[in-house]
Amino acid sequence: MKEEIIIAGFGGQGVLSMGKILAYAGLMDNLEVTWMPAYGPEQRGGTANVTVILSDQPISSPVLNSYDTAVLLNQQSLDKFESKVRPGGTLIYDPSGIHHQPERKDITIIPVDALDATLELGNSKAYNMVLLGALLKARNLLSTDAVIRGLKKTLPERHHHLIPINEKAIEKGRELVG
Amino acid sequence: MDEEVRLMKGNEAIAHAAIRYGYDGYFGYPITPQSEVLETLEAEMPWEKTGMVVLQAESEVAAINMIYGGAASGKAVMTSSSSPGISLKMEGISYIAASELPAVILNVMRGGPGLGTIQPSQADYFQATKGGGHGDYRLIVLSPASVQEMADFVGLAKDLAFKYCNPVMILADGIVGQMMEKVVLPPYHPRRTDEEVRQQCPWAANGKGGRKQRNIITSLELDPSKMEVNNERFQATYKKIEENEVRYEEFMCDDAEYLIVAFGTVARICRKAIEEMRARGIKIGLIRPITLWPFPTKAIEELSKRVKGMLCVELNAGQMIEDVKLAVDGRVPVYHFGRMGGIVPTPDEVEAAFQKDFPEAENK
Repeated sequence: MKEEIIIAGFGGQGVLSMGKILAYAGLMDNLEVTWMPAYGPEQRGGTANVTVILSDQPISSPVLNSYDTAVLLNQQSLDKFESKVRPGGTLIYDPSGIHHQPERKDITIIPVDALDATLELGNSKAYNMVLLGALLKARNLLSTDAVIRGLKKTLPERHHHLIPINEKAIEKGRELVG
Repeated sequence: MDEEVRLMKGNEAIAHAAIRYGYDGYFGYPITPQSEVLETLEAEMPWEKTGMVVLQAESEVAAINMIYGGAASGKAVMTSSSSPGISLKMEGISYIAASELPAVILNVMRGGPGLGTIQPSQADYFQATKGGGHGDYRLIVLSPASVQEMADFVGLAKDLAFKYCNPVMILADGIVGQMMEKVVLPPYHPRRTDEEVRQQCPWAANGKGGRKQRNIITSLELDPSKMEVNNERFQATYKKIEENEVRYEEFMCDDAEYLIVAFGTVARICRKAIEEMRARGIKIGLIRPITLWPFPTKAIEELSKRVKGMLCVELNAGQMIEDVKLAVDGRVPVYHFGRMGGIVPTPDEVEAAFQKDFPEAENK
């Protein structure tokens, strides 16, 4: 098993922490993992991206040419990474704010209205967890138990009361992928 | 406490390893991309667990001189910074080397020259291996390629520093500092007691105690005949280090007709390129120097007698290639592929560079 994932969007959308939870969940499922961020001034609002690799074998390069799966959350990221999804791979994106839709025919393209779903949930900070849910369902990755344990590891203890809302958001994301 | 499997950044692994390997002190000053070292140490508060001192100095220059003082008293101490900050430390590093003291310095390299960029680089190879500071001194230079090696080399660097009474540099790139991977943290090693320091470091300036003479630590010797003797002693130490401490890793070298030479995270990018080229039938291997000084000259020399050519891949304009060429001594062509200014190549770019330099390998 090997899954090579790029997650990209605006700084502040939770791109890096979504990758972190994915990586921790991989660790919980006894996989090898790498989490490699573009660590520039992104947290101040530019574009952010992170490469996450989950594998049952040792991982050589943390830097990749192409990806099995891309989760793309703004137009710049879509423009940059649509062509980098391997044929047969999966592209998940949030159509809100996108004016050029992805056009590839040789990959599975899944629009996820995560912003709407987040508003329904009443917690805008759960945005990235809706997309994480969609990713887990679309690629059939990791056990829910591992993801929850990953969440617990990622969140400082004083925020553990937020785990149920995150769980709900992940469920919502799963539902959005038919 | 026992060893522990964790997921963390290379910089965080450095901090946890320093506590667990029984370091007595860390002195640093923040700079991207290595600020997590100091941040993690502050968060872990090791002064409450092991008694380890952690201090944010007022500058890089202050931090390296605190290391100088700590090492002079026989303590296990380290500092860390990134490229521009390491340049500031160079005077102190030369003094520590001249005073024959054990100390560990981490450089998580970013793109230069000057203030440059905060993105990954390997452009401080010359500075680390050829001098940087003034005078005829050498640092033992370790190059980690994974978060695990970041943790492991904190222990190795301490052992080597005390074994040879010489400063050791861990020369990492921004990628391995910022990347998170699974890491097995070592069990807790107790810090040495004052009595153990007194026994193991009889040279230490830690109080006269029962000694008849005072221990004086200085790099100053105004009598040239004595200073030459000092230099000869340093060179004898360096020779011993060259004989005993060369470390490198080979990957698919046994039947290789071509070779890539790369260090740090770049070696892993090259490894993926090699896997892809091997799948197309190209017999290519990788040698990854782990000690950049002492350099694996003999290993590369031997391989150069069996292969048709080599490609050096680095995040710089061509620095390690000079040591590779000295080892190869003109036997086979040696080419360079580098990205600069914080750009990291993909495995595809490495393949393309190889194809350009060795088109005959592809056509066979």
